Amino acid sequence: MENQFFLNAGIPLAAPPLQFGPSLSYSAPISAWQSLSSAMEIEATELNSSSPDRSQDCFLITNWEKSTDYGLQFDSALSSMVSSPAASNSNISNESFMIRELIGKLGSIGNSGEISPHSQPLLASYINGNNSTNTSCYSTPLNSPPKLNFPMMDSLIKEKLPSLGKSMGLNSSVAEFSADPGFAERAAKFSCFGSRSFNGRTSQFGLNNNTEIPAYRSNPLTANANLPRISSSPSLKAMGSQVGAVQGTNKNSPLQDRSELANSQDESTVCEQNPNVDPGFKASKDSYSRKRKAVPKAKTKETSAPASANAAKVSEPNEESNEKRCKSTESNGNENDFVKAEEEAKGSNRNAGDEKQNQTNNNNNTKPPEPSRDYIHVRARRGQATDSHSLAERVRREKISERMKLLQNLVPGCNKVTGKALMLDEIINYVQSLQRQVEFLSMRLASVNTRLDFNVDSLMSKDIFQPKTTLPLPIFPMDSSASAIFGHHPQQNPALHSNISNGTTTQGSMDPLETGICPNINSHLPSITQFTETIPQYPTFCEGDLQTIVQMGFGQNPSQEMALQSETFQGSNQVSHMKVEL
Amino acid sequence: MSPMNNPQDLNPSSLKSRFTTRFLRALTKINGQKPISSSSPREMFQRYRRIKVAADKSMAWSVRSRRTWSRAMLWKLRSRYSCRQASSSRRSSVRTSTIIKSRQAKTSHEKENKNTTTGQDEVGFVVQADKLRKLVPGGEAMDLCNLLGETAHYIKCLTTQVQVMRKIAHFYSL
Repeated sequence: MENQFFLNAGIPLAAPPLQFGPSLSYSAPISAWQSLSSAMEIEATELNSSSPDRSQDCFLITNWEKSTDYGLQFDSALSSMVSSPAASNSNISNESFMIRELIGKLGSIGNSGEISPHSQPLLASYINGNNSTNTSCYSTPLNSPPKLNFPMMDSLIKEKLPSLGKSMGLNSSVAEFSADPGFAERAAKFSCFGSRSFNGRTSQFGLNNNTEIPAYRSNPLTANANLPRISSSPSLKAMGSQVGAVQGTNKNSPLQDRSELANSQDESTVCEQNPNVDPGFKASKDSYSRKRKAVPKAKTKETSAPASANAAKVSEPNEESNEKRCKSTESNGNENDFVKAEEEAKGSNRNAGDEKQNQTNNNNNTKPPEPSRDYIHVRARRGQATDSHSLAERVRREKISERMKLLQNLVPGCNKVTGKALMLDEIINYVQSLQRQVEFLSMRLASVNTRLDFNVDSLMSKDIFQPKTTLPLPIFPMDSSASAIFGHHPQQNPALHSNISNGTTTQGSMDPLETGICPNINSHLPSITQFTETIPQYPTFCEGDLQTIVQMGFGQNPSQEMALQSETFQGSNQVSHMKVEL
Repeated sequence: MSPMNNPQDLNPSSLKSRFTTRFLRALTKINGQKPISSSSPREMFQRYRRIKVAADKSMAWSVRSRRTWSRAMLWKLRSRYSCRQASSSRRSSVRTSTIIKSRQAKTSHEKENKNTTTGQDEVGFVVQADKLRKLVPGGEAMDLCNLLGETAHYIKCLTTQVQVMRKIAHFYSL
């Protein structure tokens, strides 16, 4: 049945001058809608002929008029389309039928009684305005939305109509439709097939939608879902193949967007059943709607890969928007989007600057309540900023996290720290400590290189570059400085020893003790390393400088060096003095 | 400081070797300029300043212009040097003041831009980012992403500098 539907739908589609040019296959779903709507129109006309069967249907339809299950209406429309192959004969008639269907849908979907007579002519003229060139693309979205925000539609149409009238011009069919304001109502009533009636009519219409209807019943978006779903399998797949061929050529951006959207639809697995098709239709409108808020990048990557830059950009937001819609249950938003997409489509068809309009429309779509009036005005900047900003923001954050990891490896002791703020604090402290170290070392160099000339060759020797020498090196200065320290001690200790050991102190005995002690101390050079670790116990000797020397020699925590740096300037003098003494 | 640095150090074109050669040359120059006879604090301080500048300059030169911070540091040093040169001559005193003012204006303008951009950056750690900007030369005009990259390289260079200077100090403290 679906295939039949498509066949029926496909025939007239080849003829009508589709705006999107050669990719007729892409327009297949849209034209499917067209044919569907046209079939609906035909059915409506037949209904008007007041056949007994139809009258019964009318009753049933009235019962279902108020049903909120708009998807079923579409099912009925579909069935009617299928059952009326005559609809596929004339292209224009199909379009006109579709327009009528649109009117009907609008009338039925909104509030059954709310279709004001003035709005219907507006709708009719609006739809007829589409007839000239862009009918297919525009009318289908109107067909699809299950829940049209009718007041919005009114405003939209009112806004759109003047521009449409200017650019498109009304066909002769306008008069025909406008002259029949009640036709839309009748068509709407006719099209309001409920699930029950539809099931009952399955045999009648030759459509087996039983399997589909229950699935779509639960979803208020079934209107979008049903037909797209029907069309998705054959049409989109066909589209997909053709899209692949089409994508190679740089075509009209909306066309390309649609094709990519079709691809994305096929590829999209995230969406649920229904929404899987929804994006398909949203593709028609979303192709115009450009950047939406960034949703998973994976989808965008999927579609952006094969596409050109423009198309990629468009497909990305479309993908994202599609996915968004898939997961969202906001039918109102969808409706608005559909409506606006239609408007957008018209705009894009009209102008070369579709993108901006689409973006504005996107902006409007993302904010349904406000932009209904603004979608015509170009506000590309706003939408661009929002969407590209969100995308760029994510990229930025990833970059920053990468760099933070790098820094974490560089800065010692940062592994335990979590969080960016703490990490930054650590990094700041480390950089400050390094800078202070440089200052301190330069000061040391200023004080140290008193006598020695800097022999580059000698310095470039391995002594500088081999870190192994750093450990033994400090021993020597330690030896020199320690001996200075120890030089005082032995003088004291022997006296004590001598006093303790001998009750009587003789100078003669002192000397051997001193000599004995001093060599003992000198022999304890290896123990100096141990002693140097306890240097802090002798602040009077090292001030800060000696301590820093020791610590630097042993590669200890530079923070301690920094603590002592304040005294280094004075300490360096002492060190130099000590060394001079040595 | 670790044995891992050895193969890199022996590479004549490594950052460490480049810095070392330059720094040593600067040190010899500084030592040759004034004989270190007295250890008056003032002279010591002046030497200290010169050595510090030499260390920074040689490090920045080793990196050339590949990094923003090195470029900024070199620019700062040159402007300071040119200001000093100009200040030595009375005629160009006005020029130096203008240079200084222009540099200050530039930095302030950069800071303003930075402030506006940081407003769009993450809000969480703007304070730390500002601190980091002050620490890293030329960091005032960078966004957070680049700032972090520059900081990483700057830390690496600083550690190299500290290593080399420490070894030199050790070598000559004997």
